Amino acid sequence: MPDINLTIDGHKMTVPAGTLIVEAAKTVGIEIPVFCYHHKLDPVGACRLCLVDFSPGPPRPQTACTTPVAEGMVVRTQSAMAVQARADILEFELVNHPLDCPVCDKGGECPLQDFTFRHGYPTSRIDGPRLHFRKPIPLSPNIALDRERCVLCYRCTRYYDEIAWEQELTVGERGVQSFITSQFDQPLQSIFSGNIIDLCPVGALTSRVWRFESRPWDMAHTESVCSKCAVGCNVTMWQRRGQLVRITSRENDDIDEGWICDRGRFDYTDVNDPSRLRTPMIRGARATWADAFAATAAGIKGKGAKLGISLPADLTNEEAYLFRRLLDGPLKGAKVKMHGRTAIPAPAGAGRAPGAIPEKTLRIREIDDARVIVVVASDIENDVPIVDLRVKKAVSKRGAKLIVVHSDGVDLDRDPHTVHIRNEKGSAAAEVRKLASHELLKNPGGPVAILFGDGHGSEDIHELATACGDLAEKVGGKEMPLYRATNERGALELGVAGWDSLDDVTALLSWGPPPTAGIPKSVRFLTAWDHLPRPEYAKAAVLLPATTFAERQGSYTNLEGTVQFLRPPIAANPPLKEAWEALTELGIALGLNLDYAGIFPIQREAAARVRALAALAQAPSPEPQPAPVLVGPAHP
Amino acid sequence: MAERRGTVGGPVLTEWFDKPDVHALDVYESLGGYSALRKVVTTMTAQQVIDEVKISGLRGRGGADFPTAMKWSFVPKDHPGPKYIVVNADESEPGSAKDRYLMENSPHMLIEGAAIASYAIGGHQAWIYIRGEYDVPYEMLRDAIAEAHAKGYLGDHPFGTDHALDVRLYRGHGAYICGEETALLESLEGKRAQPRSRPPFPAVKGAWGLPTAVNNVETLSTVPWIIRNGGAEYAKRGTEKAKGTRMVTVSGDVQRPGNFEIEIGVTYRHIIEELAGGALPGRNLKVFWPGGSSAKVLPASMLDTSTDLDGLKALGTMGGSGGIIVMDDSHCVVKAAARLLRFYAFESCGKCTPCRVGGNWAVRTYERILANEGSQLELGILERVSDGLQNGRCLCGLGDAAGWVIESTMRHFRDEYEDHCLKHTCNVGAVLAHA
Amino acid sequence: MSALSSHLIEEIKALPARYPQPRSAVMPALDLAQEEVGYLTPEAMTEVATALQLDAGYVEGVATFYTLFHLEPIGKHRFYVCTNLSCTLRGAEDIVEHLRGAIGVKEPGEISKDGLFSYEEVECMGACEYAPMCRVDHRYHYDLTAEKIDQLVTERRHLASTPVQASASHPSPLPDGERGPSKPKRAPRKKTSG
Repeated sequence: MPDINLTIDGHKMTVPAGTLIVEAAKTVGIEIPVFCYHHKLDPVGACRLCLVDFSPGPPRPQTACTTPVAEGMVVRTQSAMAVQARADILEFELVNHPLDCPVCDKGGECPLQDFTFRHGYPTSRIDGPRLHFRKPIPLSPNIALDRERCVLCYRCTRYYDEIAWEQELTVGERGVQSFITSQFDQPLQSIFSGNIIDLCPVGALTSRVWRFESRPWDMAHTESVCSKCAVGCNVTMWQRRGQLVRITSRENDDIDEGWICDRGRFDYTDVNDPSRLRTPMIRGARATWADAFAATAAGIKGKGAKLGISLPADLTNEEAYLFRRLLDGPLKGAKVKMHGRTAIPAPAGAGRAPGAIPEKTLRIREIDDARVIVVVASDIENDVPIVDLRVKKAVSKRGAKLIVVHSDGVDLDRDPHTVHIRNEKGSAAAEVRKLASHELLKNPGGPVAILFGDGHGSEDIHELATACGDLAEKVGGKEMPLYRATNERGALELGVAGWDSLDDVTALLSWGPPPTAGIPKSVRFLTAWDHLPRPEYAKAAVLLPATTFAERQGSYTNLEGTVQFLRPPIAANPPLKEAWEALTELGIALGLNLDYAGIFPIQREAAARVRALAALAQAPSPEPQPAPVLVGPAHP
Repeated sequence: MAERRGTVGGPVLTEWFDKPDVHALDVYESLGGYSALRKVVTTMTAQQVIDEVKISGLRGRGGADFPTAMKWSFVPKDHPGPKYIVVNADESEPGSAKDRYLMENSPHMLIEGAAIASYAIGGHQAWIYIRGEYDVPYEMLRDAIAEAHAKGYLGDHPFGTDHALDVRLYRGHGAYICGEETALLESLEGKRAQPRSRPPFPAVKGAWGLPTAVNNVETLSTVPWIIRNGGAEYAKRGTEKAKGTRMVTVSGDVQRPGNFEIEIGVTYRHIIEELAGGALPGRNLKVFWPGGSSAKVLPASMLDTSTDLDGLKALGTMGGSGGIIVMDDSHCVVKAAARLLRFYAFESCGKCTPCRVGGNWAVRTYERILANEGSQLELGILERVSDGLQNGRCLCGLGDAAGWVIESTMRHFRDEYEDHCLKHTCNVGAVLAHA
Repeated sequence: MSALSSHLIEEIKALPARYPQPRSAVMPALDLAQEEVGYLTPEAMTEVATALQLDAGYVEGVATFYTLFHLEPIGKHRFYVCTNLSCTLRGAEDIVEHLRGAIGVKEPGEISKDGLFSYEEVECMGACEYAPMCRVDHRYHYDLTAEKIDQLVTERRHLASTPVQASASHPSPLPDGERGPSKPKRAPRKKTSG
């Protein structure tokens, strides 16, 4: 795209053609207030708050959010006409607003407050009674709606329809009587529903999980990574007095584009569970860490294949590396089973053997540019929700064609143009082989993205991976194995993402939640590292209090191979130990010569030894840079 | 057309309306109907059609007054795939009934015009979006389209040629906003009818995302005549800048309300006093809306204003959709304005803030005024709301129109507003109850 | 039990193919549903949505936007009386007042005790030259007077007491509105000048 030269409030700038004025202004720190505009949604020009004045152009204020820049354009955000227009709009927004800011969860981080403060009239001229709606309305167990606070920017409903392809959230009635509603007042079902809270520019949509808990300025926030699946969405975790109180999205266009799913957003209350384990226990009695490690070491050492190790889906690379060392040493021969993983093998090195996964798999961002997307044997919406949204974006915003090969219906069928090939369970590979001659793939007109899962065990993964690899080669496509477990790919690279049966082990080291199939009956000795007491642990020999994702340092490798670092919002205060520390001490108790003063030496060592973990050598600082603050103009 | 200006002219749209049963295909044809479409598809190129209409100077009669030929020429010629003509038959402007009148009298005239327009933009399909309340025009159009298909005037090979042409109907379901072309397109796409932000304009991205020209019923109904008689002949009518004739509907406090075809340039005095019979016995005209409720009012003292569109623009008002509402001295302007604001607030789609909130704020303010609770404050609020609704603040023209009602009635009838707000009296007599 | 008949569902499923994009079928489908059920229940709207492969919320959003979709029961004969400016100037408020008395209801939307009637005050219906006017049973009625209202009501009451015809639905077996059913007997000329 050619570049365009223009001037905004005297600032000369050059931006790519097609840039909207509102975005161009941001590049020099000029705030043009917006409610309806959101950079991930199609501009609609509804709220009219972004009115500016530009020439050449009509002698009226125009919306900066819908107008692309033009060569030689001179934009004035501060002309009397523009300043008054925006102040008028803000006054209109407040005519029916309840002004209940003192008890509003949004207060303190509310664009309506901030914009009124910066762009509105300094005095109130609003008279008389306001319109009233029934409130608050529970849209779902997680989301509350306050229709009186709503400014009807339609970000939420547009997001639902444009991004998530769902319409269970809608607008009822019209005019001043319009309101946001869930369909026939039924609770929202979508796994993507929570994003509307982040999108809402006022306090109309708030989290019920966190309602009336704390003011935004009471919380400290930390930039971290979600631990719920293999996508690795970037999140901001908010803590107040040692409690995790909120998780919001943090935009990373390579991964998540600012969306997270409801698992990532709402599934965190266990962090604050009052019954959490805080001290090690041996046979039900409090013990020191040293005694607990000694007892564990005695129970699991030298067991060979009679020892089982159960690993959590969200095992960090650093933990995985330490397990690798244990398995190479004192725990050699143990059976390992990782929670929630697919049957998909690890990416292999250069060169492609049948059934192997290429080392360089498709990046999430590359889905954007695909002309044809093939999704095979995956309940993609639930397995890797935010990749599902990326596929939807490529289709509805960028015109990609979509082929689904799956035995059941998937939410991608919501597009009537989706070609869905419903295979018999187990025959996905055969269907994929036929695809090479499919109408859409004969001349795809650009990159082809092939995303495949394992059909939750229903498909022969060797066959399927071979078929997908062959197809990729024939049509010039690139593959993306849809790993499910959070750090499945990292654990696979380190060779600890086991797939073994734990059926007849006599000793079990259960790291994280107990095995999904339960503790095997054959187990005589159990050490569990977990953050919650559970019935399964009634006969445990040793219970080790675990940190949660909110207290954990380390990194995950997401399904595309990107290594991302966790930043714990809550410190693992003693007596809790972080996982890397606990594993190091356990290793020492088992006779390994380990000496890590912190997590960095582990990361550097892993980076040097494992090619896929090279990124660990440059762990970021624990404190992220604060986001730049845009300074807005003065009052009219 | 009692009064003619300039060169010789005569009725265009209503040329045949004194003949019986013009709505029937055989009658329509016997008078020359469908000869224009035949001529177009068998002898003319699309560009020639556009050129002919350009010569005529025809402008959109839905209210926006945009040159029709130019609108058609904006539709990209080289666009592969479908392009559409969408006929705006959602006539809902208070005071305007002329599209209904044209469709009921001569549905084939509209169908022929729509087919010609489709040909002119290189398209094959026209959609008539007709308001849901228009049952009879809908049924007549439905039957007329079937007749035209049966005769081979529409279909894959109209008049034996290979340029397929079809006209289809889509019914609205009650929303004034659908008269706004982009809201109409949203509605046609099966959505809540909320206007779109422009650009992109419909010519580039219209119905279902495809290039589209949206034309009013009257505009397209004029086209067959222009093809038959030549653009130059049409251009002989009207004024230098505003060519031709147009339909007006006169309603309200006059002796003979009705639809009239007038030559553009005649005065409102001519229309209201001569064609519509003037004021009712014993009353005096006070105010009139020159082009639907959305045009700024003019006081009776300005009856000699010309219907010339540029002249109206100079006065800050417009010929709009041709709906002339006349009100006499037995009715209160404040109550009339309050009634219209109720209309605009009710019909606001709710998409943009000023219209959604402002209209309703004005309604509540008028309610207080009419309940004798007004004061200087209410006058101030009305002025503020009126300002906040106009000048590009709103996404579409509905908000502006609501602002114009407040502004123009306050400008010309400030005394009535002050009587209400400051003295809590109404200077209009007993008939007030009905306003 | 489903709200819509199975043949209607089939008819609705066939609608999307008639338009360049399937969502255009929503309003015609709601029309069919409303005609069959009388008004749009949540169940009916949900079934329309399912037939069109949409979430019910989409259909609800559309149905509540447009005034000709009724979300609550309406009388068998609904009077839509224009009370916009042109009609009000010519006495629409008196007509509404009279209609209320004639059908025995107090407010818009209320259904008369016999279930036959309800009324609604509506915005301009595009027949301003015949003000005051109303629409009932898919036909316009012009130049309304108290007597005309009485006549419209009486005709419908009479019809209801005649069993065979009473079951007939649209197209109405009633005397036509002022402009005939599908073709006017004679094009209206008197209002034309020139």
